[in-house]
Amino acid sequence: MDLKFLVVDDSVTMRRIVSNSLKNLGFENFVEAGDGKEALTILTSDSSINFVITDWNMPVMTGLELIKAIRSDAALSKLPVLMVTTRGVKDDIIEALNAKVNNYIVKPFTPQVLKEKIEQCLASA
Amino acid sequence: MKHSENLVQLFDRLNELKYLFHYGQKIIPIIQSLIDFMKDTVPMLENINSSISDSASKIPKAQNQIHDVTSATEMATIEIMDIVDVISNDISKIEDEISTLIAKEERKKEIFTKLRIMFGGNAEAVALLEELDKETAIFNQLSQILATVQKTKSDAYNITIALQVQDITTQQLAAVNHLITSVQQRLSNLVLEIDETDIDVKDRKKIVIPDEETFNAEAKYDKDDSRQKLADQLLNKTSQDEIDKLFS
Repeated sequence: MDLKFLVVDDSVTMRRIVSNSLKNLGFENFVEAGDGKEALTILTSDSSINFVITDWNMPVMTGLELIKAIRSDAALSKLPVLMVTTRGVKDDIIEALNAKVNNYIVKPFTPQVLKEKIEQCLASA
Repeated sequence: MKHSENLVQLFDRLNELKYLFHYGQKIIPIIQSLIDFMKDTVPMLENINSSISDSASKIPKAQNQIHDVTSATEMATIEIMDIVDVISNDISKIEDEISTLIAKEERKKEIFTKLRIMFGGNAEAVALLEELDKETAIFNQLSQILATVQKTKSDAYNITIALQVQDITTQQLAAVNHLITSVQQRLSNLVLEIDETDIDVKDRKKIVIPDEETFNAEAKYDKDDSRQKLADQLLNKTSQDEIDKLFS
């Protein structure tokens, strides 16, 4: 399966770190977005994207709102979504799970954790 | 008769007046001290007003400085990443070259093995071959260099990973900015309540409190994996029904 990732984060630094990590894991195909709204626009225009990695706290549209929008769109609802965020308290994690996120990484992450979570998302997809 | 009643009433009124004067004599010093207190308090209040005004006016500068720090650290982080990328690419080229040399070394070993068989009957030729093999053997050194280069490449990548600290501190600074903006708004409101003329209302309108959705005030650079473990536990052990129950 050819994977094409959408990396969503308002931080240029984090987008680059995640993209570099993907390259390091052997995934070369990815696009980036600076907020949830931009991500949705990309997702609706590029059907080849089959994996979303998103931050939570972003301007315009948060990662949580993005997940809810993805899950409520018939064409996108099955997309694996991995959240990478600084929010690590129980209530936040439960809120993300309730929004039907596939997996959850608390920043700062290690490359090993990113690899594991991508594999888990793909295995359960 | 009526005349005497009037006199009684007059004396009563005069007595009341006398008590009033007595009371007045007692109360006047109190009123005087109250006036004195007010005289002392007004400049003090003006001072407080001016201090609050002054503090409130300095806050935008503090906010700009925080914003500048955030921008500067982001720029510096990107520069570091650019340099690390260049180093990583160079290391990858060196890695490829060393791998090619190791492959050549392995091929050389195969040739030497074949030559030993070919020169089996010629002891002098075999001795020279062994000497040549010994003198030119660099396989072990190349393997060591390759291991070092790969470790350096991994270290360079780990520098990139460690730069997540920039995103986390940016969120912490955004939380501080949010806090001081709230303080500024409260101070401005306070000044307006004390004296509307002392602060420019237009300035107050300019105060924009950053959206809390764009940062996490609890963000921290912590290598302790307890928060990740909590996320994993909730992901793995909680059924959807349980999630719904916990959420509601």
